[in-house]
Amino acid sequence: MGDTTVSRLGAYAMVAAGGLIMLAPFYFMFVFATHARTDIFRLPPPLLFGHDLPGNVAILISRMPFWRNLGWSLYVALFSTVLTLLFCSMGGYAFARFEFRFKQSLFALVMGTLLVPSFMNMIPTFMIMDALGWIDQPRALYLPGAASAFGIFLMRQFVATAVPKDLIEAARMDGCSELGIYFRIVLPLLKPALGTLALITFIASWNNFIGPLIVMRSPEMYTLPLALRSLQSPVGTEWGALMAGSAIATLPLLVLFVLSSRQLISGLTTGAVK
Amino acid sequence: MAQVTLSGIRKRYGSVDVIKGIDLQIHEGEFMVFVGPSGCGKSTTLRMIAGLEDITAGDLLIDGVRANQLRPVDRGAAMVFQSYALYPHMTVADNMGFALRMAGVTAAERSAQVGRAAETLRISHLLERYPRELSGGERQRVAIGRAIVRKPKVFLFDEPLSNLDAALRVNMRIELCRLHAELGATMIYVTHDQVEAMTMGSRIAVFNAGGIEQVGAPLALYDRPANEFVAAFLGAPRINLVSQPQADGSAAHRALWTLLADGRPDRVVRVGWRPEHVRVVAADTGIPAQVVLAEHLGDTSILYLRVEGVTELLHAKVAAGGPHLQPGVRIGLSARGDTVIGFDQHGCQVS
Repeated sequence: MGDTTVSRLGAYAMVAAGGLIMLAPFYFMFVFATHARTDIFRLPPPLLFGHDLPGNVAILISRMPFWRNLGWSLYVALFSTVLTLLFCSMGGYAFARFEFRFKQSLFALVMGTLLVPSFMNMIPTFMIMDALGWIDQPRALYLPGAASAFGIFLMRQFVATAVPKDLIEAARMDGCSELGIYFRIVLPLLKPALGTLALITFIASWNNFIGPLIVMRSPEMYTLPLALRSLQSPVGTEWGALMAGSAIATLPLLVLFVLSSRQLISGLTTGAVK
Repeated sequence: MAQVTLSGIRKRYGSVDVIKGIDLQIHEGEFMVFVGPSGCGKSTTLRMIAGLEDITAGDLLIDGVRANQLRPVDRGAAMVFQSYALYPHMTVADNMGFALRMAGVTAAERSAQVGRAAETLRISHLLERYPRELSGGERQRVAIGRAIVRKPKVFLFDEPLSNLDAALRVNMRIELCRLHAELGATMIYVTHDQVEAMTMGSRIAVFNAGGIEQVGAPLALYDRPANEFVAAFLGAPRINLVSQPQADGSAAHRALWTLLADGRPDRVVRVGWRPEHVRVVAADTGIPAQVVLAEHLGDTSILYLRVEGVTELLHAKVAAGGPHLQPGVRIGLSARGDTVIGFDQHGCQVS
């Protein structure tokens, strides 16, 4: 056995250990989702799947409008994603390919918002949503984030490399309207970046806890993270049900990630090299 | 087919005058070449005709109609870009048919017209492919095809051949000339390549520093350039410009001046002498010169010659068969026929 084989085995062992440590909480979430509360607190705790999943789901459904909350999560995440893609690609295209007054200052302003910690927005967001009468309405979740500075920046960089000026001028010569150029030429060429941004936006919206906490009042309007939080109490938290809910909440993201992880990674590195 | 008239065309970016007043008449069915060094304003002028740049002042008439404010598509002009600018996400057929689709032409009619254009350019077998699957030459054909399909009144070419390799460029040059003869359309062609200008144009407009130096048929410009700029821009190797020697100039320089400028008006202070009109004779007969560098191209040889007292090296283009003409060899020079062009102190030609 040569030295390189030994060091390679060592590396594999370390990576495997790291992987185990990271996957363990994930694994236990699924395991605990199949055990009753009393079983979870046994010593040693259960390491393998049990039979109490139906019971846990039943508790979940009895304690909250679970499917409704899941629906709102999906609704808000989809709307956020669609709106973010539309507005960020439009904004990025404008910043990358159009000349207009105050362009540099406006772009600096957009980038500047990245510097403001999101927690500083909590109170103003609540006040604005309250003034608009949007408290307890899903639009209070998807409209404020419909054009993110990060998304605009990502799109601008991508347009600059993927959509040459000549193409836009060729389309103009071909009699395409400005809106037509955006929809028929620019948008199709932005596909990789749109995929990346869609994934990031969807995940962020799906996992968003603070947002709904600020603007949602009635439990039947809660999105999943907030609804699941309501299972917790100082005494008698239904851990089995909580884990079952979390596991169900994770499934859509898992599917999404398996389908598009390659896309996500290639999108994030596009423009970095080349 | 259309006539394009530019009168007093100007372009200003901020406080910089890029185009300083252009008057030009492009006739129906003409192949007009805009040629000039980079930054001379030829592409900007083309883009103003296309409608991709605003015209600061002056009138642009296409078929007698003022087109300054018309949208590109309403001017009836089609453009072929240097980068080809093919839509990467569309097939060749969709690329070529895009303008028709924008104009609301039905799918059946569209595919018929695209098919005809593809046949003209011999790219029928490529119609279902995507641009990324094509070679440079094929992309170029598609780009031209996209322009043809629209049946424009005037074709605009912005250095369309500069991304092709040398052999392909010669082919496409011939192809474009054939196309012009076949379609009989008005074409405006921008290039910095003087060979393209000389071989393709019915007329050439030589641009320099935001204006036109001279307009005319290729050979007329070559033989009778209006000024030193045009004389120097057309022809490779460059024309030799020999200045009048000072009173204390070298004997060789004075002898050369006498040979070239004898019998010309007094205001001639510089003469242009084409390299192919330089004759190499035995060392003790002509003007004494020394070979500095020799490029033997097979059919001809280009010599770089030093004449004592003349600051710039002279270029001579002589028939091949002089392998003895190596650096360091001393030779004599004489002129071939009366083909020297005289210029006054402003660089304008004196006839």
